[in-house]
Amino acid sequence: MAGLLKRDELMSIMIHFSNITKQFPGNKALDDVDFSVEKGEIHALLGENGAGKSTLLNILHGIYPDYDGEVEIDGSKVNFKNANDAIEYGIAKVHQEVNLVTELTVGQNIALGYEPAKKGLIDYEAMYEKTDGILEKLGCRFRSRDRVNSLSTGEMQMILIAKALFHNARIISFDEPTSALTDREVDRLLQLIMELKAQGITILYITHRLDEVYAIADRASILRDGKYICTLQIKETKKDELIRHMVGRDVSAYAVRNQELCSSEEVVLKVESLCKNGVFEDISFELHRGEILSFAGLVGSKRTDVMRAIFGADSYTSGSVYIHGKKAEIRTPKDALRYSLGLIPENRKTQGFVKNFNNAVNMALASMDRFCSRGFVNEKKILENCMYYTGEMNLHPADPEYLTEALSGGNAQKVIIAKWMTTDADIIIFDEPTKGIDVGAKAEIYRLMEELVARGKSIIMVSSELPEVIGMSDRVIVMREGRIMGELGRKELNEEIIMKFAMGG
Amino acid sequence: MKGFVKRFSRELEVVAALAVIMIVFGMIQPIYFSPSNLLDILDQSVINGLLAIGMTLVIITGGIDLTVGSTLAIVIVSVGNFTVMGLRPLPAVLAGVAIGFVLGLVNGVLVAKMRLQPFVATLGMMSVYRGVAYLITGGWPVLNIPQTFRDLMDGDVVGSLSSSMILFLAVTAVAYILLKHTKFGTYLYAIGSNEEATRLSGVNVDKNKILAYAVCGVTVALAAMVMLAKLGTGEPAAGASYETNAIAAAAIGGTSLAGGKGSIVGTFLGAILLQALKVGLVVCGVDTFWQYIATGLIIVFAVYVDVIQGKLAAMRLNKKAKA
Repeated sequence: MAGLLKRDELMSIMIHFSNITKQFPGNKALDDVDFSVEKGEIHALLGENGAGKSTLLNILHGIYPDYDGEVEIDGSKVNFKNANDAIEYGIAKVHQEVNLVTELTVGQNIALGYEPAKKGLIDYEAMYEKTDGILEKLGCRFRSRDRVNSLSTGEMQMILIAKALFHNARIISFDEPTSALTDREVDRLLQLIMELKAQGITILYITHRLDEVYAIADRASILRDGKYICTLQIKETKKDELIRHMVGRDVSAYAVRNQELCSSEEVVLKVESLCKNGVFEDISFELHRGEILSFAGLVGSKRTDVMRAIFGADSYTSGSVYIHGKKAEIRTPKDALRYSLGLIPENRKTQGFVKNFNNAVNMALASMDRFCSRGFVNEKKILENCMYYTGEMNLHPADPEYLTEALSGGNAQKVIIAKWMTTDADIIIFDEPTKGIDVGAKAEIYRLMEELVARGKSIIMVSSELPEVIGMSDRVIVMREGRIMGELGRKELNEEIIMKFAMGG
Repeated sequence: MKGFVKRFSRELEVVAALAVIMIVFGMIQPIYFSPSNLLDILDQSVINGLLAIGMTLVIITGGIDLTVGSTLAIVIVSVGNFTVMGLRPLPAVLAGVAIGFVLGLVNGVLVAKMRLQPFVATLGMMSVYRGVAYLITGGWPVLNIPQTFRDLMDGDVVGSLSSSMILFLAVTAVAYILLKHTKFGTYLYAIGSNEEATRLSGVNVDKNKILAYAVCGVTVALAAMVMLAKLGTGEPAAGASYETNAIAAAAIGGTSLAGGKGSIVGTFLGAILLQALKVGLVVCGVDTFWQYIATGLIIVFAVYVDVIQGKLAAMRLNKKAKA
C-alpha cells in the first residue's frame, strides 16, 4: 500500500498504519488495519467497544511491541519497545483514567522521569520554570508548585497535556478524555485541542460522543471487530452514516421511546425534604408507577449522593422516604432490598459487580435467599436464572460461567440490570446507565428500560447525557449544587432549558 | 474431566508439588514412604491445618487473623483448667469451642464495626490474648490433663486413624461445603473481591465478616484442644508465631492475601505439604536450620507461581475483553 502513495501524499502523512495485525491467543484484536493520519489534523478513531481502537493506540504508544505490519511516523518506520520510547519520539497520550502521583506537585508530575539535573541533583528551579511556562501557554489557573491532590479531574487532565508538551509531542492521542469532565471543562478541552492542532500537532481522538467528533474532528476512521472499515470526511458525513459504519447495521442509537408512555397516577416512591448537611438539601419528589423519571444536572450536582441516601448506601441528616404510601426506614442497602428497591451504580467495576465471580453468581448475588434451600446454594437454579436473562437480554457471550469482569461494558451493565430484575425490584435507580458503553449496547439498555416500565416497574435515571435524558424520560428533575432547580414534563424538554436550570442561568 | 482440571487447577498443582517432594525424599530415604511415616505427616499437620482453615476464611474476606496463636493459648489453658477441675471431656470441648467463637467475634467486631485494619487490629489483640493466657495460669503450665480428654481429642479410632486426624478431615470437609455451597461462603468471596458491590447488593457485609472471624476462632479452639490432648499439658506460651505457618499453608494452597480467592482443599494440601517437607528433612538428617530456609523458599515460590498465573489470566482476560 505504502508504495502506491504519491510523493506529495507521503510528505503530508504523519502516521501510517500499514497492514497491522495484532494477534492475542485465540483472538485477532486487529486484522490487517491499514490507514493514514495526516499531519496536523484531528483524526477521530471510532468504533464500538472491542473494535480495536485501544489496541491500535497501544501499538502506537509502544505498549504492545509485538505485532504484524508496520507503523511509520513521518515517513520512517518505528517499532517502540515501551511507552517511554514513544514519549521520547514525541508521541504522547491523554487517557480517560488520569494516572498521576497525587502527593507530588504539578511540576514534578509533568517532568516525572525526565527531571532536569544539576550535579546529579534535581534542578527544581529549572524544572518549575519550564513547566510553569507550559501551563501558562495552556491557560491553566494552577501552577507547577501546586499539589495535584488539590485539583479537579479536568485540571488533572491538563497536566497530562502539559506533560505531552513538555516532551515536545508531535502526536497526542486522546482516549475518551471527556468522560469524567463537566460540560464547561469539556468545552475548554475541545477548544484547547483545536489550539494544539493550530500549533501543528497531530491529534488522534477516541470518543463515544459523536457531538465532540463533529465539533473538532477533520476526519474519522472507523474500526469494527478489529477490521478497518473506512475513513470519512466529517463535514460530508451524517451522524447516522457514521453510526451505521460503526455497528454495521441500522441501530437507532438515539435514545427514543418506541412504546407508548405508561406512567400512572399511583405514587410508588415519595421523598420529602431529604437533606444531608453540606451535600444536598430539601430534596422532595414523587415517582409514579411505570414512569422513567430522570435527574439531570452537571457533574457534581450531587444527584448520585441523593440516590445513595435513598438506597441506604449513605446516611442522611433529615427528611423522609415513603414507599407505596408508607414511611420507609432505609438505613442499609439490605433494607432497600426489602422495600423492593434496586440500584445500578455509577461505577460498574468498583460498585456494580464482583470481580472474581461469573455472570451466574453476579446475577444471583442480591437474591441468594431465593437460591438457597435448606441452607445450601442451589447452583442449578442460579444457572437457570442466568440462562433466562442471558437469552432475554441478548448477553454476549452467552456463557453463565463467563467472568463478568471479562465482558464489555455494555454486557457487564446487562448483568447488573439482570441482578436487580432477579430480585424483582419495583423501583430501580439507574445511575449513568450508559456511561462508557458503545452505541449498539446503549440502544439495548434503553429497550430494557422501556420493557421494565411497560411491566409496571418504575425507574429513576441519573444521567449527564442530555440526548438520553430528553429521549427517555417521562419527566425530568434538574439539580444544581445539591438542590432541585426545576421539574420539566416530557413535552417541555429541550437541551437549552435543562442546561439553563443546571447552570443556574 | 476438563472442568475438573480447570476448577481444581491450583489444588492439582499443590498435589504435584507434594508428589515431587515426597518422591525426592523417598528416593533418598526409603523409610519416608513407610505407612507409619505417612500417617505421621498427616498427624502432625492437624494443628497447623486447623489454624490454616480458619485463617483461609478470614483471608478470603480480605482480612487476616494474627491472633490465632494467642487464641490457641487462651483455649489451651482454660480448657486445660476445666478438665483438671473435673469437667467431663465433651462439655470441656464445647466450652473451648465457645471461647474460641467469642474471641473470634471480638476480632470481627473490631474489623467490621470499628473499621480497624485487620492486620493492626489482630496484631493488637494478639498481644492482649497472649497476656490473658498468662494471667489465667499466672504464667504456669496446666499439668496432668485427664486421660479421658486426651483419648477423646487424640485417641485411636479406626485402625491407625486417630480422632484428631478424623477431626481435621471432617473440619476440612465442612469448611469446604461452607465455602462452596452456602450463602455464607458465597458472601465471603464476594466481600473479599468487592466489598462495596456486595454491600450495594443488599448483603449484610459486617455480619458475615464478623462470622468469618468467629468461625476462625472455632477452628483455632479445635486445634488448641488437639494440642492439649497430644501434649498432656497446657502452656500459656503455646502457639507463639503459629500464625505464620497458618498463613503459609493458605498461601501455598492458592489463597490470595488480597482477598476474594482461596480454597479449603488447597489450604489442606498446603498444610500437608509444609509438614511433608519438614518430616522429609528430618528423616534425611538435614539440620533444623535448613528447614526454615526450605519452608521459606516454598512459600515464596508458591506465591510467585500465583503471580505468573495472575499475569497469564490477565492476558486471557484481555483477550476475552477484546473478543
